[in-house]
Amino acid sequence: MMTLSTQLLGLLAAAAPGQVGSGRIVGGWGYVWACYAITVAMLVLYAVSLWVRRPKAPTDAKE
Amino acid sequence: MSASRPRPIGLLTATVALLRKDLLIEWRTRARLNAIIFFALATLLMFSFALGPDTKLLEKNAGGYFWLAILFASVLALGESFRVESENACMDGLRLAPADARAIFLSKALGNTLLLTALGTLLVPVMVALYGVSIVTSGVDLGLILLLGCLALSAPGTVYAAISSNARARDVLLPLLLFPLVIPALLSAAKATTLVLQGDPMNQFGSWAGLLGGFNLIYWSVGFLLFPRIIED
Amino acid sequence: MGKFIKWGLLALSLAVLATGWWLGLAWAPPDREMGDVQRIMYVHVPLQWAALVAMFINFVAAVSYMFKASWKLDATAESSAEVGLVLGTAGMITGAIWGRPTWGVYWSWDPRLTSQAIMLVAYTGYLVLRRFVEDPEKRATWSSVVAIIGAINLPIVWFSVRWWRSLHQVQSTPKTVDPEMTLALRVSAFGMLFITLWFLVARYRQALAERQAEVALPDALPSDLAAAGGANSSRVA
Repeated sequence: MMTLSTQLLGLLAAAAPGQVGSGRIVGGWGYVWACYAITVAMLVLYAVSLWVRRPKAPTDAKE
Repeated sequence: MSASRPRPIGLLTATVALLRKDLLIEWRTRARLNAIIFFALATLLMFSFALGPDTKLLEKNAGGYFWLAILFASVLALGESFRVESENACMDGLRLAPADARAIFLSKALGNTLLLTALGTLLVPVMVALYGVSIVTSGVDLGLILLLGCLALSAPGTVYAAISSNARARDVLLPLLLFPLVIPALLSAAKATTLVLQGDPMNQFGSWAGLLGGFNLIYWSVGFLLFPRIIED
Repeated sequence: MGKFIKWGLLALSLAVLATGWWLGLAWAPPDREMGDVQRIMYVHVPLQWAALVAMFINFVAAVSYMFKASWKLDATAESSAEVGLVLGTAGMITGAIWGRPTWGVYWSWDPRLTSQAIMLVAYTGYLVLRRFVEDPEKRATWSSVVAIIGAINLPIVWFSVRWWRSLHQVQSTPKTVDPEMTLALRVSAFGMLFITLWFLVARYRQALAERQAEVALPDALPSDLAAAGGANSSRVA
């Protein structure tokens, strides 16, 4: 797990200067918020889908 | 796994017998071979139409189109190979026979390999004519890749065809399961074929053929081990 | 235990994840080269790890099912594949968004991205297969076979795509990261892991309840222990 993450980071870090130039990327908060928003939305939607499909009879008393 | 120790019929004998049976059925109707030949020819033609009359592009990508045509045709061939058994409960009959279940895998997979290799052999001259390519390195290399590629499609394809032939919506299921799996095989076969057709200055052919060989080794053994579990009951 | 797992674990995971994300978004320094865009890491990497954990659980459950058939293992496999697919898809989307400002494109045919896309398609196939097979015992066996073959395929795909792309993509060496970044990443990862666990438990219960309902049907199979094979007469056709 650890090595995969470091490889990932390394890959991104190595790929960035090659294509974008060695300057630091400025701004880009829009991308950051988009990522977090999409992730939260997907997790919430999945939780809702779990709730909708909840087992009816024995394990869950809420009905 | 499930085989009892003193087997009444040897694995090899059973495989040969089953393979002969399948080939005989195939020979009597020739329905499957005819169907996939025309399907693959149509696919090769369609690539030319879809991509326009840019002969350079067609020539450059000929290896890829060739293998895509075989892949699409293989889905038909694989699906059909188990549909034959689903009529009149033939599969139950095979299972009841005192033969190793793994013989069914070997015979079906070898039968599919033969069928696809025959198809590929017929497609090579068509590809040469349609796309204006020529065999640069050697025909033996092309034959080797054709054989290895068809073996690589057949082993996992037979396992998945056995599964999907018993499921609902089998025509959707087989490609959905098979396509992501055979990507390494498709990739290396197409790459190696392109090298044969365009020349191989950096001597990469061997490594792609090796990758394909490794893929075969893994999936023929996995299929051999897991297939009895699929058809057991 | 039901109530505790249900709400306690959820509250814990949300709290940890929120802390991790706050650390990542507000507290950790921006990256030297990628600037603030690098903060996507605190959502992307935990998603990928959690997806890998789920897929690994799926593989273990599938292999175990081959040796000892049980509805619990089958339910574990089903739940982990679905949760892994959701997390993996989110991971891939965030990765693609991250790629836009850093690589200049949403999608590069990088081995890791490509292998993941293939993996997601393969697990979609796995879940579709489960939908299309009605006999619970056959479904369990067949989907285990598909899960095992799919997992074996992953390293092969990875190597072949890497070879295929070898002229374009340089494999990189690991890079040291700021300790503050590491902390934020770790906390976020644990938060995501807890959420994954919560999803897994919830989905597992569902799957198990479904199996029990199916098995309770008149002509279905006897219970868990008898599932090892030869339990019912065949209806293959």
